[in-house]
Amino acid sequence: MHNRIRGLFKGSTLGVVLAASAISAVISMSMTRMTGQVTRPATVDGQPNLSGIWQANNEANWDLEAHAARAGSVMQEGIYPYPYARVPAAPVVALGAAAGVPGSLGVVQGDGEIPYTTEAAAIKQENGEHWIDRDPELKCYLPGIPRAMYMPYPFKITQSTNKIHMSYAFANAARTIHLDDVARPPDYTYMGHSVGRWEGDTLVVAVDYFNGKNWFDRAGNFHSEALRLEERFTLVTPDRIQYDVTIEDANVFTRPWRISMPLYRRVEPNIQLLEYRCTEFAEEFMYGMLRKEPLVTRWEGETMIVDVTRKVPEGDALYDWYRK
Amino acid sequence: MSEEGQMRVRTLTVVGVGLVVAIGLVWGTQVGLIGQTAGTQAGASLRTPWGEPDLQGIWTEEFDTPLERPDGLGNREFYTDEEYAEADNERARLLAEQSGSSGDRRSAPGSQNDVAGAYSNAHLSFKHLGRRTSLIVDPPNGRMPALTPEAQALATAEDEWRRELLRSTETCELELPACSGQEYDPVPSPRRSESAPRYNTGRMNRHDDPEDGAFGDRCLLGSIAPSETAFGGNFRRIIQTPGGITMYYDQGQGQGFQRNIVMDGSPHLPEKIRQWWGDSRGHWEGDTLVIDVTNFTPKQNFRGSRENLHLVERWTRTGPDTLEYEVTIEDPTVWVQPWTVKQELGRQSDQENRIYYEPRCHEGNYGFPALLKGARLAEEEYEAGVGPHPATFDNATGSGIQRFPGSR
Repeated sequence: MHNRIRGLFKGSTLGVVLAASAISAVISMSMTRMTGQVTRPATVDGQPNLSGIWQANNEANWDLEAHAARAGSVMQEGIYPYPYARVPAAPVVALGAAAGVPGSLGVVQGDGEIPYTTEAAAIKQENGEHWIDRDPELKCYLPGIPRAMYMPYPFKITQSTNKIHMSYAFANAARTIHLDDVARPPDYTYMGHSVGRWEGDTLVVAVDYFNGKNWFDRAGNFHSEALRLEERFTLVTPDRIQYDVTIEDANVFTRPWRISMPLYRRVEPNIQLLEYRCTEFAEEFMYGMLRKEPLVTRWEGETMIVDVTRKVPEGDALYDWYRK
Repeated sequence: MSEEGQMRVRTLTVVGVGLVVAIGLVWGTQVGLIGQTAGTQAGASLRTPWGEPDLQGIWTEEFDTPLERPDGLGNREFYTDEEYAEADNERARLLAEQSGSSGDRRSAPGSQNDVAGAYSNAHLSFKHLGRRTSLIVDPPNGRMPALTPEAQALATAEDEWRRELLRSTETCELELPACSGQEYDPVPSPRRSESAPRYNTGRMNRHDDPEDGAFGDRCLLGSIAPSETAFGGNFRRIIQTPGGITMYYDQGQGQGFQRNIVMDGSPHLPEKIRQWWGDSRGHWEGDTLVIDVTNFTPKQNFRGSRENLHLVERWTRTGPDTLEYEVTIEDPTVWVQPWTVKQELGRQSDQENRIYYEPRCHEGNYGFPALLKGARLAEEEYEAGVGPHPATFDNATGSGIQRFPGSR
């Protein structure tokens, strides 16, 4: 008996070891993917698993359209009348080169231009000039979709069977994508109402019920409450999602248009979402002038003295925001 | 073939079959043939398709339970049937008596106190009493443990500070309850120009700066640690994925927040990283999700506990529509011993989806700058000689006394 068992092992140990390692190799390559300490299956309930922490890595939050680099995110006329000779203005002067706008090839598909109606194009132009008064991002308002997807902060996807959560670091914003039937929201929303379905390996999400108070970027590209989106998420590699959005809004655009960009997985082994609860960060910006003793009247730097008194343009005061 | 050779063939065959089976298992799982159990949609299974206990859904407290146990119930966690019927009826009677204003003030419509009532019954939800006598189950007497001497000293200092800011108001002149026994003094307190004793989180009778505002007014509320039935309710949506859990909370008036539970077994964040909702790290103990929460910012305030707050939660699905939530709360700088709260949460309809449309308190907060602006106007009018000293306004307690600029 003992001899037989010993014999059993003696000759075929190598075979057993080879077979076992082959089996485990097959299992580990197909079923799970080790990323740092997290074991993440390739599928959830048969669908590609999008769970994890992701971040866009482009300049879309500055401006969806292609543009050259600019001297300052807020600008004023310099000594020349040419637009390309404008200089940074008081709100950003102290930040120097950290407050310029990086150039970008843009993320708008097709001819690269957003198809505004004539009236809307004028509003967009104005928005860009009134950026610091009108951009909801500076007030730490909920950023809306699609903007939350390409702001320079990570976000986390938690994919279950009938729901998918997207948690954004910025402003503690979040959305639930419903893969099942739910009642419509009771009111229009900042972050939209997201209803998803799988088409093969692509997650397709329809988003609507927007309240129209958000922008697409810092350049003043905007929409109304008639905005409707169709997003498509495709896992191209385990660490890259191709994110594609068809955008339509009959009040603002002459036709639907598309943006497309990769989203990259944050592969650091210890990655987790940290908070960016900017409500209080925005208080000095929004309410600082209402302090009993204002903290900011005059900034004196090494080579310059800047009076940061600035008159808010007509119609852009905080109280006007609520009436819109 | 020799016997040894036959054994070898047999072993390799077994191994070979095992390999085929393993590949078959992998393929089967990939195409979703294996591991398919009824999901949360059907509500039938209490496990996720990947085998974890299923905590998913929208959960809330369906019954009102006080934090601390009422008198005369000793160490009893639950009411008897008789006691319950009586207590629930009495409470319903009391609630019904309060018409037109919130809180336990009974006011005639149109009276000053009635005008101060900010919310009518249409804004409040009234639930039946729960079977539990209190949320607190440990200490066994259902009462919060005592404060440490240092916490008591801090609480006293804060209380004194707030009462100083009220001392010149009509609230104190008339010795109303909201004055909390502070002696009236028409001379405004010199302490009005001091900083608050600690980073302020509550309401006080001064609006020199945004930081003087209560967190509710600044839209900085939202707490993991539980309170009594929160104004506006406390809803949680839990979603799971293999190796991860997120919870979206909908609390109060647009004060919801997100929690992303780290489930990979790694240690807590470094000491110096402090967050409003701390750092949540979870693991399974049998069928119970245990979450350890540390790294709170000193700005957050749970009953006096700031950066040393430490929570250990236990979440257990107890049935198709029930979930038991237990949390042990400790802060050795505040309470002399840890204390534990236990709650039964009820599952809400996924289809009705009544949760967390979005926490947009801040986006609609035109009231808060108005508080600051009002204070600046009161100062201007006093300087111009047309208004009373701002210290005589009570903008904190809602005592019902109102003054208008220019009046006396």
